[in-house]
Amino acid sequence: MSLVRFVLRRVLQGLFVIWGVITVVFLLRFVTPGSPVDAVAPLDASPELRARIAQELGLDQPIYVQYFDYLFGLLQGDMGYSYISGTPAAVRVFARLPATIELAVAATLVALVFSIPLGVISATRRHKPADYAATSFSLVGISTPNFWLGIMLILIVSVNLGLLPTSRRPIGLLPALELLVFQLEVSGVRTWLAHMILPALTLGTYFTALIVRLTRSGMLDELGKSYVRATRAKGLPETLVRYKHVLRNTLIPIVTILGLQLGTLIGGAVITEFVFSWPGLGTLVINAITSRDWTIIQGSLIVIGAGFVIVNTAVDVLYATINPQVIYD
Amino acid sequence: MAPERRGRAVGRRTYLRFAGAATASAMLAGCLEGEDPDDPEDPDDDADADDVETDDVDEADDDVETDDDDTSVTITQGQFASTLDPQDHRETPTDNVILQAYEGLLDREPDGTIREGLATDWEYIDEEEGEVRFEFRDGVTFHNGDELTMEDVAYSILRVVDEDVGIVSPQADQLAGVVDAEPDGDDALVVTSDGVNPMVFNNFASYCQVMQESWTEEMGDEVGQDINGTGPYQLDEFTEDEFARFVVYDDYWGDEVEVEEVVYDSASESSTRVNSLLAGESDVVESVPPQDAPRVEDEDGTTIEAVPSTRVLFMPMRNNVEPFDSVEFRQAMNYAIDLETIIDEILAGFGDATGQPTLEGYTGYNEEIEPYPYDPEMAEELVDESGYSGAEIELHAPAGRYLGDIEIAQAVSGYIDDLPNVSCDLEQREFSSLADEILDGDLDTSPEFFMIGWGNTTFDASQTIIPWFGEGTATQAFVDEEVYGLIEEAQNEPDEETREGTLQETNEYLNEQAPWIFLNRQYSVYGISDRLDWEARQDEHILAREMGLQ
Repeated sequence: MSLVRFVLRRVLQGLFVIWGVITVVFLLRFVTPGSPVDAVAPLDASPELRARIAQELGLDQPIYVQYFDYLFGLLQGDMGYSYISGTPAAVRVFARLPATIELAVAATLVALVFSIPLGVISATRRHKPADYAATSFSLVGISTPNFWLGIMLILIVSVNLGLLPTSRRPIGLLPALELLVFQLEVSGVRTWLAHMILPALTLGTYFTALIVRLTRSGMLDELGKSYVRATRAKGLPETLVRYKHVLRNTLIPIVTILGLQLGTLIGGAVITEFVFSWPGLGTLVINAITSRDWTIIQGSLIVIGAGFVIVNTAVDVLYATINPQVIYD
Repeated sequence: MAPERRGRAVGRRTYLRFAGAATASAMLAGCLEGEDPDDPEDPDDDADADDVETDDVDEADDDVETDDDDTSVTITQGQFASTLDPQDHRETPTDNVILQAYEGLLDREPDGTIREGLATDWEYIDEEEGEVRFEFRDGVTFHNGDELTMEDVAYSILRVVDEDVGIVSPQADQLAGVVDAEPDGDDALVVTSDGVNPMVFNNFASYCQVMQESWTEEMGDEVGQDINGTGPYQLDEFTEDEFARFVVYDDYWGDEVEVEEVVYDSASESSTRVNSLLAGESDVVESVPPQDAPRVEDEDGTTIEAVPSTRVLFMPMRNNVEPFDSVEFRQAMNYAIDLETIIDEILAGFGDATGQPTLEGYTGYNEEIEPYPYDPEMAEELVDESGYSGAEIELHAPAGRYLGDIEIAQAVSGYIDDLPNVSCDLEQREFSSLADEILDGDLDTSPEFFMIGWGNTTFDASQTIIPWFGEGTATQAFVDEEVYGLIEEAQNEPDEETREGTLQETNEYLNEQAPWIFLNRQYSVYGISDRLDWEARQDEHILAREMGLQ
């Protein structure tokens, strides 16, 4: 199978998955107890007022009519209107996307910067204090719940030491960079960075720990292979053996995992966003669930699902391209 | 871009630079899209707020910057405003944002007493026919500079009660009975109800903010995205779900305010709000959990402000099923629980014990009624008397909806279960599914025994008694002909004193009948910065115009 056919097949599969996500997310509303009218109507609303609200929201239509209306709307980029605020759901969901992507990318960078050196040190100094320290860190990092870590960081770094702000995102990366480029003003980037550090550390800790373990075990696997003995026998310096040959081979599965984790992070930053009042998709989904704003819940989940599918597809294609051992089947 | 909070805040100057950058990027985007910046048809060419603000940057000096910071207040709620349309919601967090800029016909003092709003005088013209007349003050202008007219006020009222005028307002039931509003000259308005309406002034003191008819019509679906009110603050910047920034409206008709800039934002997680206060980033945070109150009190520069709210917690027992059809059994449930201990231990004292549906200070509150005392022996005897000894009951309670809800429910079910002749299980429920069963209009599908909270911002007993004990209401959980009669008598009584007496009698009867396990009046617990001088309100509203600066 050619690369083009492979890509086309993966894209088609991705579209099918997205359609499945849309359908499941749409049907969720009907299997969940309660009606969206409860979100709009006050607790003491009369049955007549509730009926009028249901009619205004189009909830008095049969399910299949609502479903096809929704699908048709999505094809035109229309996710409906928020039951609570009456504003277009697509606008609200996509307005939150940059904050979530920024956080996901920053957390991935944190993971990359800390995990690979730690993993390498751990593998090359096996059973030494550095290895024990790195494996202990990875164990603690994997076991620590995000919400607890976030709250602790806020308490220690922000409240007690006063080093960084507790929460929020007063400026996005793009406006901050625009300030820097157009007005040579660094305060925007500084503010962005100050607000980003704690959420990125919180979200990135788990992945740092995960990749430390992956790097360590990958390195140890590779170090035991015969080509390593061959390169050593050729008289290559140990540094070259480790970093040019062993680490490069270890990185192939790590890159794949990182790509997949980025997709997970887009949807998985919910708790971190909640703790830091980060105005991303996660906070939007939680608030929408609390207020039963189904159009926002549906829109957010579809975007998260689509993001995951797109990243996965891109990683599959990339992996197939860079790894000649992959067969397009 | 959201203005960063004080403490390590981006100063106003920096903030304005951000705004300038946003303008620059917008201009760049405009150029890239090939638009003609001089195009007279382009609505964006109108006076641009960002441009004005960017100019200000050059003029601003450090002193001005400091002044701005000193008179700016940040208020962090648990939930942000869902809309800026004052008539298309019924949530306190939304009210808190909107009420900085919108005003109603009447207003309330922090303790709930009715005071002047846009109207300076109000009277019944014909109580039997439900006609009332409001007189309005002169010199009121909307934030767009237009004068307030009586047509605007009439339109605002009709927009709530008549869906043909604009929207299906969730506040429609709050002005129930009102059917028409007509200007009576240039500074008065006559409001007509469909009969006797003893609640009319109470309702107008809590609901129906005044909007400008032409502006509202012009905004159409966008009316929830902007504000054009008559209040002391005008909207300066707003990002949906994130924050709203208000600045002083210079042409406001009322007294000058001390706080010149107010930023409303939100943090759903309570510890985030508390930490934000402790770090000096917020000046007022709402719903401080009782367990965090000592942290706030112990910190230099912050304190706790707690006030009884308009919300009461209770546990209805459906009297059309066994064993709750027995008044003795229902009374026994009230005697079985140690309410004082629950309030002290679970709510850290932030609550008042209740013994009737009506809260203290409300019209119709009966001062002679005391909460049921803790008397497990009496409870045991009453259960035996009821003939339901050995009864097994199940309490349905929401988690996370009200202050300490599930902990209170656990304590109550524990106390009941401790009785030797009754056993009680607790069923933790997701609030919306519980509410759905309660509100479906069918009494028989409601749980037999459940926990709920009820907010009544009208400061009148009827708005709790009617929904819960009136015949055929969505929330009815108790069937009693005598209560129906008392409600009808009160609602058709034009004389205020006689009506209040009837409501007090109703409360006495309900205390004896014990239709609920009477729990506590919820407190609003705020963490506030010492730089503020502010008295918290009973109706949970946080109004910057009532704040002073130390």
